[in-house]
Amino acid sequence: MTAPFGDEAMSTTTNDSAPAAAASGTVAAAKIAIRNLDFFYGSHQALRGVTLDFPERQVTALIGPSGCGKSTLLRCLNRMYDLYPGQRATGEAMMDGMNIIGPGVDLDLLRSRIGMVFQKPTPFPMSIRENIAFGVRLHERPSRAQMEERVEWALTRAALWDEVKDRLGAPATGLSGGQQQRLCIARTIAVKPEVILLDEPTSALDPISTLKVEELIDELKRDFTIAMVTHNMQQAARVADRVAFFYLGEMVEVADAGTMFTAPREKRTQDYITGRFG
Amino acid sequence: MSGVMASGGMGAGEPAREAARLLRMRRRRTWSVAGWGLCAIGFGLLGIAMGWILLMVLLRGFSALTPTVFLEVTQGTGGGLLNAIEGTLVIGVGSMILAVPFGVAAGLYAAQFSHTLFARAIRFMADVLVGVPSIVLGYFGYVTMVEGLGWKFSLAAACITIAILCLPYICRTTELALSQVPAAMQEAAFALGAGEGLVAWRIALPVAMPGVVTGILLAFAISVGETAPLIYTAGWSSYMWNGQLVGSPVGYLTYAIWAFINEPFASANALAYAAAFLVTFIVLLISVTARLVLLRRQGGR
Repeated sequence: MTAPFGDEAMSTTTNDSAPAAAASGTVAAAKIAIRNLDFFYGSHQALRGVTLDFPERQVTALIGPSGCGKSTLLRCLNRMYDLYPGQRATGEAMMDGMNIIGPGVDLDLLRSRIGMVFQKPTPFPMSIRENIAFGVRLHERPSRAQMEERVEWALTRAALWDEVKDRLGAPATGLSGGQQQRLCIARTIAVKPEVILLDEPTSALDPISTLKVEELIDELKRDFTIAMVTHNMQQAARVADRVAFFYLGEMVEVADAGTMFTAPREKRTQDYITGRFG
Repeated sequence: MSGVMASGGMGAGEPAREAARLLRMRRRRTWSVAGWGLCAIGFGLLGIAMGWILLMVLLRGFSALTPTVFLEVTQGTGGGLLNAIEGTLVIGVGSMILAVPFGVAAGLYAAQFSHTLFARAIRFMADVLVGVPSIVLGYFGYVTMVEGLGWKFSLAAACITIAILCLPYICRTTELALSQVPAAMQEAAFALGAGEGLVAWRIALPVAMPGVVTGILLAFAISVGETAPLIYTAGWSSYMWNGQLVGSPVGYLTYAIWAFINEPFASANALAYAAAFLVTFIVLLISVTARLVLLRRQGGR
């Protein structure tokens, strides 16, 4: 981030066929490197030749009008689309030498490494403690004491511990919307993933809860690589290190947040972030 | 827009538009009254029919309810109904033991894999099964089990026949309840790395449980009220159930209604009314319980 020009020359991962990516300056190595990714809902192509890096321990925001494919890209990264027949992705999404969207990927393991938080809070029909333990138990066999420790750790990291520590056995559905969303974030980080996907994590929340979640994201990027879809330009400017603009299934432009919101290169980007369409 | 034109237009159009508005209002009110009237007639017809049935069953049945009904078995055309009460409950519980695992499993599969060919086949067959007249199922049970397997009139034949009858109801209500579980919640579980079985078992089924239980209760109510399939498969017995699954017939309440109502003896008629009262009461109790289960679910949300 500090040396955008020197970095540009170094960036060997940049694909020439996607000129928009050429300006992307980044110090951190790419945790996930997407190359020429196409995505199809049946015969409808939702993503076209997307090439994009998610730098390690940074927040990358995906912005763009509804239906531009940004959520679809997130759902590629944890293979959510595998649940639905007729949806498929081609191309490359490399993480630590493994092609996420290639054949033979252990999906359960992949999803333990790449967690996801959804637009609407989705607490499970169980206690607050069990909501956290559910995911942990899928991948580990901790003792009771270890589990208690993990629950406290995850809830503390999600800035929820103080509010719920006296009622861990209470049903999670009794929490407020903002608390539920932080519980979902706690549930995701309890599994200790490397990457967290956030699909409009604050669009169903009130302003105060939104602020809390944004502070949380800022705090979490010290340990996790974060990819976030948002419709809120201010939020992207506040939280993200890098911003990628999507339009009609294509990745139009990616840049550091500061550059993106002050001097975008593409006219379409400029029009979108200044509210001319979308 | 010139002021002259606007004011001229308004001056000419105002009364005509007002009249048209009044006409529309009047027409709308007429239709509204007609609609409500039809609703009231429909409600009245249903209410009168149900009230009449309940009143008759209550009046005649309640006066026929003596301690003997609950304490003694049937003797010829008199005695009590203890054997039939026991038989009805044993057949109901037995058929639920058979139908619930299969019905819930089939509904779970049809909901979680709703797009597959097999799921569509399950739905189709469940719909067909609902449409089969119960007396045909009874005849099927008679031919295959009572005669074919040589089980004679027996508890096993009765339970299996009633289980087949209840299966589609349990399957479809389970599927319906599961299909109302938010997809986002299940996706969240998948996103943590949970497999399909775990998501169905730990996430979807608990959320859908009140709906599933309601379906099971209503199926139980159906099993209590069935007559024709049991005449073919359970036969009738004036004695208590002897613990045998095959070889010996079982008594049940609906038989008492069917058989004793036309007997020329007052004692037999009284038994029929008592049985009618008991069947109605049990079915009503189950239905109310099912409603309460559903209400609690809505209150919990």
